[in-house]
Amino acid sequence: MKKILSLVLAVCLMLGLASFASAEETLPTFDQIVLGENTDLTAKIHFAYHRTDIADKLNGYVEAFRQIYPNVEIEYELITDYAENALMRVGNTDWTIMGIPTVQKDELSKYFVPLGSLETLSGLYNFMSSWSFDGVCYGIPSTGNANGVLYNKRIFAEAGVTELPKTPDEFIAALKAVKEKTDAIPLYTNYAAGWTMGAWDAYIGVAATGKDTYMNQELAHAKDPFADQGNGTGPYAVYKILYDATAEGLIEDDYTTTDWEGCKPMLNNGQIASMVLGSWAFTQMRDAEGGEHPEDVGYMAFPISIDGKQYAPAGGDYNFAINVQASYEEKLASMYYLKWLTHESGFAYSEGGVPIDKSGEYPDLYAAFDGIDMLSDADSLPGEETLLNEMNAESELNFNAGGNTKVQEIIEHAFNHDKTFDEIMADWNAAWSDAQAALNVEVK
Amino acid sequence: MSIVSTVQPDLRRSKINWQKVLVIFLFAVVPLFLLILFTYIPFGKMIQFSFHNMSYTKDKGFVGFDNYLKIFTKPEYVDAMLLSLYYMAGAVVQLALALFFASVLSLERLRGSGIYKAVLFFPFLVNGIAIGYIFKYFFTHGFVLDTVLQAIGIPLEKLPYWLRDQSVNNWSLVFTSVWKYCGQNMVLFIGAIASIDPTLYEAATIDGANRWQQFKAIILPGIKTVFMLNLILSITGSLSAFEPAYVVGSMGANGTATFFIKIHQMAHVSQKVGQACAMAMVLMALILLFTVLQRLFFRYVMKDSESTFNAKANKAKALW
Repeated sequence: MKKILSLVLAVCLMLGLASFASAEETLPTFDQIVLGENTDLTAKIHFAYHRTDIADKLNGYVEAFRQIYPNVEIEYELITDYAENALMRVGNTDWTIMGIPTVQKDELSKYFVPLGSLETLSGLYNFMSSWSFDGVCYGIPSTGNANGVLYNKRIFAEAGVTELPKTPDEFIAALKAVKEKTDAIPLYTNYAAGWTMGAWDAYIGVAATGKDTYMNQELAHAKDPFADQGNGTGPYAVYKILYDATAEGLIEDDYTTTDWEGCKPMLNNGQIASMVLGSWAFTQMRDAEGGEHPEDVGYMAFPISIDGKQYAPAGGDYNFAINVQASYEEKLASMYYLKWLTHESGFAYSEGGVPIDKSGEYPDLYAAFDGIDMLSDADSLPGEETLLNEMNAESELNFNAGGNTKVQEIIEHAFNHDKTFDEIMADWNAAWSDAQAALNVEVK
Repeated sequence: MSIVSTVQPDLRRSKINWQKVLVIFLFAVVPLFLLILFTYIPFGKMIQFSFHNMSYTKDKGFVGFDNYLKIFTKPEYVDAMLLSLYYMAGAVVQLALALFFASVLSLERLRGSGIYKAVLFFPFLVNGIAIGYIFKYFFTHGFVLDTVLQAIGIPLEKLPYWLRDQSVNNWSLVFTSVWKYCGQNMVLFIGAIASIDPTLYEAATIDGANRWQQFKAIILPGIKTVFMLNLILSITGSLSAFEPAYVVGSMGANGTATFFIKIHQMAHVSQKVGQACAMAMVLMALILLFTVLQRLFFRYVMKDSESTFNAKANKAKALW
């Protein structure tokens, strides 16, 4: 027993000493890292990540990085059920870099190396606030996503739509033109998959209001958030597009039997003119098996303008972070690799994402986003982190949280003409204010 | 001698008894432990949760019968319960079909009846999710079913959209359910029919009874117990219909959400665990109620017909 105790003590002491020693050599912050320095760095990095679909590509990055840092070994561990797996392993030492799972923000410093102050880093990179605490960043996004509308450029041109629609009316007019002049389905709903319809919720914040505070700070407190704003903006306008398109017969014929895998080559080949999905879907449609016209796949901002200006909601994907328990060399080498990944590798581009580096140019797919402000949703106010979740559950509307049924119902009512759009929105408003009353939420 | 002989078996018996008890105990304790751990404790917890306002991570405390009241005050839940009527109607058709196939396959000496049985039973062996995907294509406008119907001369324009039109879509889903479970019912019926003494048919044939009379007088009374079992299983199954609406009906979209699907949505999408538990309790109560009603029906209504028969017979005797 004594032996074990002394062994434990010794180990603790050594660990303590080790951490003390590494603390002496302070790590540079992420913005101070200059690629090409310290090329004799020797370390072994174990990278836990979720993109099992692009293993070859990731190994390609490792090889390219080792051209500059030949003594740094990087081994990827690609995990299928990443979110759960990473959450269980976050306190272990068997990884050096990982994508941050859903840990509590006040625990970030327990697991991850601080990368620098939020103030400095957010001036240089996009979407830095999501994994920061007390003004310190712990993760850097792998890539960013923006939300707009997928469309087929050739079909829009054939329909005579030369300028991309900027308002709901223009969009419906464009869909009508597509129906009249081409054989394509103007707007494919992907009704049957469910989650593809839930994607409509992504636009009710930034895209519909132009405010980055709307989704996480205002919606829960809003009085009748789904009422008609009268000027083609707000959540009302987002869902109205879907209702009108259905009522006017601008969606697919048998919407109950849509096929998610099958729709990819259909958009690519021009059988579908448009689909409302996030930018992550762009590469899937472009590279779809059986798709013969990848060059026709286009992406545009959601057709709502606030005072003549369009906004696109954007946010970071998984954030990379470094294990706080790694050795100094490992941490430093990881810093260099992450810098290289976000600056030199072209990772964000090849995934069709928004680049993290603010000086980086946007990939071609966002060409139509020129002059459109990309905003990421601001965090919820302190003390209200769970309020929107509770409102979602209480009202059973579940915005951006699996509330696919309510969006599907818009199509059903529009098609069967058994409820007007205003009646649906009135129901939602009633459910929302009931939930506010039940949870004692202050209505502003 | 006599002493020895009485003592020895006693000793032996007590030894065997002790072993027996140990074996019984050891064999029973594991399944009982599992049963209690995974059925009765969770069930008790479910009853407890149904009186709480809670999600997976937070319990906001006891709310009495609030969760139960909400079920009956929201018309959408009552509508969802009424959807079971479609499945019950389907269950009746299903039993009739199963009984028909079972009688034909048992009475007639068909060549290759084993193959027929296997073919009819096969759908029951296919996973419900797989069946869902099969029928999704089957019902898609212009696909399998429509092609077949066009081949027999019905133009496509006159055919309904099997899953889109709310007047037919629930019948389409019930059809998949009948397709799947008919074979299982049939096999149970065949088993019951096989246990009837074959000499009865012989005697009936000699007396000049036709197939229908044989069915009515020999088969139907002979399989009464199994028939009741099948009926109860089908009706309670209709109350908790899930798979067809979930897979073929796109997770209960377009007016196909059964009560079971509503429970699933409540628990896993809205994460209102307390409310979902209350709904599950209501569903269980409904199933119990229907089972009891059916038993009472069989006990009294059927007995009535028997007793009137007996009364008539007595009357006849008296007259005689």
